[in-house]
Amino acid sequence: MNKTLLGYVPEHSPIYSVHPFVKLFFLLVVSLFPMFISAPEWNVGLMLGIMLLMIYSRVSLRTLKMYIPVAISMGIIILLSYTLLGGVQPQYQQITRVLGVSIYWERLRDALVVYFRVVPMILSMVFFLSTSRERDLIVAMRTIRIPFVVTYVFAMALRAAGMVLEDFHIVRQAEQARGFDATGKSIPYKIRKYVMYMIPLFALSLRRTEEFTNALVARGYAFAGEGARVKRADFVLTHYHFSVMDGLYTTVIVLLFAAILVARYGFQRLTVEDSYFLNWLYSIIVSAA
Amino acid sequence: MLIGIGFVVGAFGSISFPLGFGVNFFWTGIVVQQVGPIWFGAWGVIAGAIFPFFSNAIAGTPFYVSLAYIPANAVQAFLPAWIFRKFKCDPRLKKPSDYGFLLVGMIISSAFGALWSTMVVLRGFGLLTAESTPLFVWGWFGGNVVAGIVFNFILLKALSPVVIRTSGFVKRWWS
Repeated sequence: MNKTLLGYVPEHSPIYSVHPFVKLFFLLVVSLFPMFISAPEWNVGLMLGIMLLMIYSRVSLRTLKMYIPVAISMGIIILLSYTLLGGVQPQYQQITRVLGVSIYWERLRDALVVYFRVVPMILSMVFFLSTSRERDLIVAMRTIRIPFVVTYVFAMALRAAGMVLEDFHIVRQAEQARGFDATGKSIPYKIRKYVMYMIPLFALSLRRTEEFTNALVARGYAFAGEGARVKRADFVLTHYHFSVMDGLYTTVIVLLFAAILVARYGFQRLTVEDSYFLNWLYSIIVSAA
Repeated sequence: MLIGIGFVVGAFGSISFPLGFGVNFFWTGIVVQQVGPIWFGAWGVIAGAIFPFFSNAIAGTPFYVSLAYIPANAVQAFLPAWIFRKFKCDPRLKKPSDYGFLLVGMIISSAFGALWSTMVVLRGFGLLTAESTPLFVWGWFGGNVVAGIVFNFILLKALSPVVIRTSGFVKRWWS
């Protein structure tokens, strides 16, 4: 198993035959798709597509469990925001009243549109994080010629996150070994005791920073001056080859995006009015009302 | 390292008390965002602007929404540090005025962050209605200020004497 930014992927996953740039490109472009799609069924299709890619890449779908509470809380908030907190809108079609507040069809419809826009955006991010390692991100950034300093800061940040997480576990185990147990305690209590993690975590990080600085100085790295002008070999790039298939994947992503833009603005499709799901839901809700 | 701490601490806050789209009732990442620049100057501001992008990504905020939050995070990181340097406050919080200036910096910067993130970003992406915007403005503002009050003062008081003795401490902005 190889550790990715968000989990583990088997060593023989087909995703490793894809160039890291393609994965970054997928994130950057596919995240834009839902912004131009209003019909929820198309966004659900996109979600299923991303999940199929995750299965094909042998990413454990258990990773998604972490996002279920986020998806639920976000759904509730969007629904409340558009319905109970949506205000009085006499121009809209009222379908019912809840707790003395009018619920309008247009607001409910917009809540569904927004929700099904956000979820595929999150899924595309999860797909990227689940299938990419720190090294992939560096390779992708170097492939598109992002300056060395920027790439290096990103790389150090990702490396530091892993180290801090490790330190966090050490601090937590040390607290537990001293008999600290926050199980079943109230949230204000846990928040107060959170300081017990923060102070050692910062102190450990300060020590790590010194080690980091010394290592960088010893290797002759510098962000300014003579040291920064030295041309450095992109050793890691020599391990990756942008193949014909990678070019094909990139082209497919571009063509899909172009197709969405043409469908939306050329043929007025993928809109709310064009949605089979929303029209079906409207007929049910209005007949019930 | 600051980005690393922010990544972990920010993601913890984002997952534990979510309001939605990276807005939280209690965002612990604010500690790293506001204390870091006081200690490490412009490097801390850069870290404070960047790390929420990573922690939000892990916590399930869409890529472009996280990207659009960067100006809010940059101001939240910059303003308390600027006030601290402008009024020559001591990171060890020796005088009552040091506490006062830090509190003012926290409140103003969080207010800007809350207004930018909800009225520009979330409204711009069409994720909120005008009527529900105040809930998110208060969620962001309260979530940051309360967490800041709980942790910022304690952390500065406890660790500043150690930090100012290290080579990483930045008295002005860059060195």
